[in-house]
Amino acid sequence: MGKLNDFLENSVMPLAGRIAAQRHLQALRDGIVLTMPLIIIGSVFLILSNLPIPGYDAFMAEHFGGQWAEKLSYPVGVTFDIMALIAAFGIAYRLAEKYAVDALSAGVISVAAFLLATPFKVPFTPQGAKEAILVDGGIPTSLLGSKGLFVAMLVAILSTEIYRWIIQKEIFIKLPDGVPPSVSKSFVALIPGFAVITVIWLARLLVEQTHFESLHNIVGDLLGKPLGILGGSLGGSLVAELIKLLLWVCGLHGASIVGGVMAPIWYGAMDANRVAFQHHEALPNIFTQQFFDNFINVGGSGATFALALAMLLRSRSKQMKQLGRLAIGPAIFNINEPIIFGMPIVLNPAMLIPFIVAPILTVISTYIGMKTGLVARPAGIAVPWTMPPSFPDIWPRVEKYPVPSCSWSIS
Amino acid sequence: MNILLCCSAGMSTSLLVTKMLKSAEEQGIECKIWAVPADAVRNHIDEADVLLLGPQVRYLLKQLKKLGEEKGIPVDVINTVHYGTCNGSEVLKFAQQLLANRR
Repeated sequence: MGKLNDFLENSVMPLAGRIAAQRHLQALRDGIVLTMPLIIIGSVFLILSNLPIPGYDAFMAEHFGGQWAEKLSYPVGVTFDIMALIAAFGIAYRLAEKYAVDALSAGVISVAAFLLATPFKVPFTPQGAKEAILVDGGIPTSLLGSKGLFVAMLVAILSTEIYRWIIQKEIFIKLPDGVPPSVSKSFVALIPGFAVITVIWLARLLVEQTHFESLHNIVGDLLGKPLGILGGSLGGSLVAELIKLLLWVCGLHGASIVGGVMAPIWYGAMDANRVAFQHHEALPNIFTQQFFDNFINVGGSGATFALALAMLLRSRSKQMKQLGRLAIGPAIFNINEPIIFGMPIVLNPAMLIPFIVAPILTVISTYIGMKTGLVARPAGIAVPWTMPPSFPDIWPRVEKYPVPSCSWSIS
Repeated sequence: MNILLCCSAGMSTSLLVTKMLKSAEEQGIECKIWAVPADAVRNHIDEADVLLLGPQVRYLLKQLKKLGEEKGIPVDVINTVHYGTCNGSEVLKFAQQLLANRR
C-alpha cells in the first residue's frame, strides 16, 4: 500500500498537475462552460414544447395556435444553436486572460475568425424539389451550434496564439502619448487582428481547393468523428471516468480536468440528442454530459451519496458520524469535497477501491439499461450538475432510475 | 482583513466560508470572506488581502501565486484535513498567519 501511495504521489500527481495547469485545456473548459447557462435556459423551453402529458399538444394548439411548438423553440435556436459562437469568444477570452493580453479584443477577433471559417451557405428546399440546395447569403446556424464546436475551439486557440505572439513581440501601431488609452488600445489589436484574419482566410482558400470544401468538413472528418467515436463508446467513457476518479484520489479536481478534454465531445453528443428529440427521432447517443452529471455522479464524483448517508445513519465512529452530518447537505447537491478530503478518500488505499469500482459499475449498468431501452436515454436537455440526484428522473424524461451505487453501502 | 477562497466552481469553498465567518464572529475578528470559481479570481483579487485555494485546485497554485506576487498578497493551499472537515477556525488562523508572515 505504501508503494501505491508513493506511485500516486510521485508519478501520477505531478503529471496530473501539469495537465491540469495546461492553459489551453483550462481555456477550453472555461470557454465552453460559458455556454452552459444559455443551454439550461434553452432546455426549459425545450421541455415546455415537449411535455409528456397526454392531451398537452391539443391543449396548447387550441390556446396558442397550431404553430405553438415552433414558437416555443425560438429561444432554443439562440441558446443551443450558438454554442460554438459563444465558445469561440469564451475560449479566446480565457486564453488571452492567461497570457495577460487584452481579452476582449482577442475574443472579438476570434469570433470574426470563426465566422470566416464558416461558409455562409444555408440549405434551402425549393417548392417541388426533393433535395435541399445550398444558397448564399445566410449564416448557417447548424454550424454555429455543437457541430461547429471543434472548429470554434481550434480557431479560438490559433487566433489567440497569433494575437498574443504579435503583441508580445511588440509589433503594433504605437500612438503618441496624448491619445486616450482606450483609443490607442483599439489600434493595438489592429495588426494581430489583421494577421489572424489573413491566416484563416488563406486556410479557407486552401481548403476550398480540396474535396473537403470547408474547414468545418475537414475538422469534422479528421478530428470530430474519431473523437466522437472514442468518447461515445463504452470503452472511451470508462477510461475517462477512471482517469477522473484517479485524479480525485490524488486530491485533484478530476471532473474539471477531464472535462477540459471530454466536454466538447459530450456536449456535442448532448446536442445531437437534442436535435433528434426535437424532431421526434430516436436518440443517437448514450454518453452525453448529462449521463455523467445526473446518472453517475450521484452525490458528486465517485457517487458518494450513499456513503454520506451510510456515515450519517450507520457509522459507529463518532468522527465519521460527525463528518456524515457535515457532508450530507452538500451531497444532496452533488458536492462531496468534505468526504473526499475529510474522510479522507485522498491517498487512502482502503477507500480507493469502492470509490473507483462503484461509479465504473454504474457506468456499465446504466449503459446496459439505456442500450436495452430499459432506461430512457438523456434527451439532450441540460440540467445543472448540482441538481439533486432524484430530479433528473423527471427532468430529462427518464422513466426509470438506474441501479444506484449500492456497492457503497457495503463498504 | 479580506480573505478570498477559490476552487473549481466556488461551491465547496463556499461551505467553508460560512464556517470561517462564524468562527471570526465568535472571536470578534472583523473580516470579509468570500468564495469564487478559479476563473473569476482575477476579477476579485484586487479586493483581497489573502487568497486561499481549495486543495483540489492546487495545480493552479503556481499560476495564482504569480498573480498574487503581482498584487502583493500571499497565496496558498488550504490544508486538506481542515478543508475536508470544514474547520473554519483553523483555516482562519492559517489566513492570519499568512498575512502576519508577509508583514
